Amino acid sequence: MKQGLHIPEELLNQIEYILAHLAEKAHTDSIVLADISGQVISQQGIMDEGTPDIVAALAAGDVAAMSELSKRIGENDPHGSFFHEGESKSIYLHNIAGSFILIVIFRAETPIGLVRLFAKRAVEQLLTITEEFEEAMGPKTTFIPDDFSTGVTQALEDIFPDD
Amino acid sequence: MFINWKLREINLKIVYYGPSLSGKTSSLEYIHSRTHPEHRGELISLKTREDRTLYFDYMQFQMGEISGLKPRFNIYTVPGQVYYRGTRKLVLKGVDGIVFVADSQLSRLEENVDAIKDLYDDLEELGYVPREVPLVLQCNKRDLPDIVPIPTLKEQLGLNGAPTFESIAVDGEGVLDGLKTIVNSVVTKARGKINPSPVSLGEQSD
Repeated sequence: MKQGLHIPEELLNQIEYILAHLAEKAHTDSIVLADISGQVISQQGIMDEGTPDIVAALAAGDVAAMSELSKRIGENDPHGSFFHEGESKSIYLHNIAGSFILIVIFRAETPIGLVRLFAKRAVEQLLTITEEFEEAMGPKTTFIPDDFSTGVTQALEDIFPDD
Repeated sequence: MFINWKLREINLKIVYYGPSLSGKTSSLEYIHSRTHPEHRGELISLKTREDRTLYFDYMQFQMGEISGLKPRFNIYTVPGQVYYRGTRKLVLKGVDGIVFVADSQLSRLEENVDAIKDLYDDLEELGYVPREVPLVLQCNKRDLPDIVPIPTLKEQLGLNGAPTFESIAVDGEGVLDGLKTIVNSVVTKARGKINPSPVSLGEQSD
């Protein structure tokens, strides 16, 4: 597994375009694209601050558990999907090649078939740029400034002052 | 580590790891209680009916903009019980730094040793070189009787070189020192990975 992910702006714009298209076609409430470790990569729709991060962290746990469950019954598909049907809102999760997770939240009146259809198309498009994700891991042209570490140390002292 | 260059965000993952009931959740609860609401997210705990960690605890804290970048720290705990090893491994995916919370009681020494072995095995299976992952040792429950001396504990765990802090997590003592140290180590390592020095060019392995 890759231990770091650096996604340049052009790639994020492509991802945003794909997610926006999915949101429009499937009438979704909100969408989060996360990596398999639970870090948010991109999101669409309105969510409270911090919610996408929590959704991504929990979805990563869910997908990992479901992948293990699937293996127990002899399934090894790294593209599995599942959904939770709620009273007012439902959640559709799609494991993308064992590396990313597409999380789609939609209203109960939206047909699951519609969401599944357009989510699968979005996944296919996202898969085509997966290789670019990998390439983005290569040499970076952007650098973290020299004073970043010092700034973090100072911020830590401000947030957690000594007693 | 996930860097979003568009939003200038650096997301880093820190995991509190250790045997069951060693004080991982107490540490995270203390960190959450001491973080100003404007810097922290909600504390999420997935617990059993007996109040034991089932999946993980999770919180995020942010620092605002520093040198044009926005660092965000995602902090997790793992369930300590032996039979939740699979869950521990999944929480370790993408980890940038570890706080190993050891139970200082002599009667729990073996569980600590088993836990550090599991940690290294899991990290290796996930493609890490375990000794290269930033790690801080938090020796918890220092207020209890029959505790192992710190040098002995470090030696038994094979963590002689690790930054070490004594703690009483339920009171918060020593918890923030461990957190600050791991955050600094993780940031230094992340910077080193992204800004390789001429000496380390070509040695980048991931």
